[in-house]
Amino acid sequence: MSFAILFLIMSFVLPEKQKTTVYLIGDSTMADKEVKAYPETGWGMPFHYFFDSTVAVDNRAKNGRSTRSFIEEGRWKPVVENLKEGDYVLIQFGHNDEVPTKKSYTTPEQFTANLVKFVTESRNKKAVPVLITPVARRKFDSSGKIEETHAIYTQLVKNVAAKYKVPLIDLDQKSQELVQQFGPDNSRYLYNYLAAGENPHYPEGHKDDTHFSELGARKMAEIVLSEIKNLNLDLAHHIRVVHQKEKK
Amino acid sequence: MIKPGLKKTLFVCLLGLVSFTLPVKKHTNIWMIGDSTMCQYDSSRFPLTGWGMPFAEYFDSSVTIKNEARGGRSTRTFISENRWQKVADNLSAGDYVFIQFGHNDEAKNYPDRYTPPEDYRKNLIKFITESRDKKAVPVLITPVSRRKFDSSGNALETHEAYSKIVREVAAQMNVPLIDLDAMSLKLLQTFGEKNSTLLFMQLAAGENPDYPLGIHDNTHFNAYGARHIAELVLQGINDLHLELSDRIFKKS
Repeated sequence: MSFAILFLIMSFVLPEKQKTTVYLIGDSTMADKEVKAYPETGWGMPFHYFFDSTVAVDNRAKNGRSTRSFIEEGRWKPVVENLKEGDYVLIQFGHNDEVPTKKSYTTPEQFTANLVKFVTESRNKKAVPVLITPVARRKFDSSGKIEETHAIYTQLVKNVAAKYKVPLIDLDQKSQELVQQFGPDNSRYLYNYLAAGENPHYPEGHKDDTHFSELGARKMAEIVLSEIKNLNLDLAHHIRVVHQKEKK
Repeated sequence: MIKPGLKKTLFVCLLGLVSFTLPVKKHTNIWMIGDSTMCQYDSSRFPLTGWGMPFAEYFDSSVTIKNEARGGRSTRTFISENRWQKVADNLSAGDYVFIQFGHNDEAKNYPDRYTPPEDYRKNLIKFITESRDKKAVPVLITPVSRRKFDSSGNALETHEAYSKIVREVAAQMNVPLIDLDAMSLKLLQTFGEKNSTLLFMQLAAGENPDYPLGIHDNTHFNAYGARHIAELVLQGINDLHLELSDRIFKKS
């Protein structure tokens, strides 16, 4: 009887305490989408599916945000407040920071300072920050070679990672390799390209070289996951283990 | 000068009129019956996606999708497991029944699923008749194509006999038909032999934790493929000018 009671109490106390939260902070390339924007897909959406029950993914990324507007709108503060020891903060900004004509523009100095803020405040709560360089845009030169579209801001992320010894996922580089592998034509499949009349959410069709289709988002999430393994983060031990049956 | 009392009466009358003239759409259900290519999957099997999943994201709030499709089912086993009866019992007037079977009916090497052509025909007619008895609208869908190319890169028909039966029943009983087999075959041809793998459950070993050994499946779709198939079915609804096409999401 007392054993049963103990068991009952444990079942209420234990799981919550042990669950690790992986916060995603970033922009539209990472964000969860509203149904009316489908099939546009942020890579944070398929990223939800990769972990075992000890991990919860909390995707706080938002369309159009830079490090500066993310902080100014009070989106960072609730993340810090909820962080507990052992949680992760995956940080991917740049697309909206680096464009001087955008309202969200963040100077290189400010971008660096904001990344340092995310890192320091995560560590103050004994959480693990992970820096991610901004995922590639689809842009090829005339010879069919992919072009770097985040040169300056990717370098700033790398600098902060080196200086503060933060685990780094060079998603810019890795995603460029993937997009190059698909090539100038086929890489359209990775992005949100729709013919006119194809999809009710985009009646006039759509050509987007920044935001992903379901396919592109999943491929990007797979890259991030594989880099988590390569970094040998403890989180890698909580990737779902599936014993796949051999095909008949 | 209108008396205040009369004014109130007029207002109520006007309100009554408006509520009849405004196009208030009656709620409707789309019941989906079929196999693994259409059904709902748990996220643990992601990116495996039945086309019924993205299909549900393109209707206005007057539509509820009831995806009753199940992996491995033929018309015969769907009926023998009492799955059809459950749908038939719950049909309301004006509901739709989307019917897509064939993959398992035609599989002679799976005797537990196989349905001979004449039984397949009878089962489709049963779905139609019993839907109509409940004043629901049956829609027949030919089985979505498998990925199969010949050596010169032509996409090959993979459901010849069973798609033909669906077309015949549709013509004979005057049932709206979405020829998804033909439409998807065309889609596969447009993608081509190599690129069409992007639509299916094709993963390299180690690429995705849910399929550590990798997978090379030319029947089941990933999220990207399922959405393309759903787009074809939505297009089929529009081509048929079903009342349902007014309930497909419209960008305002």
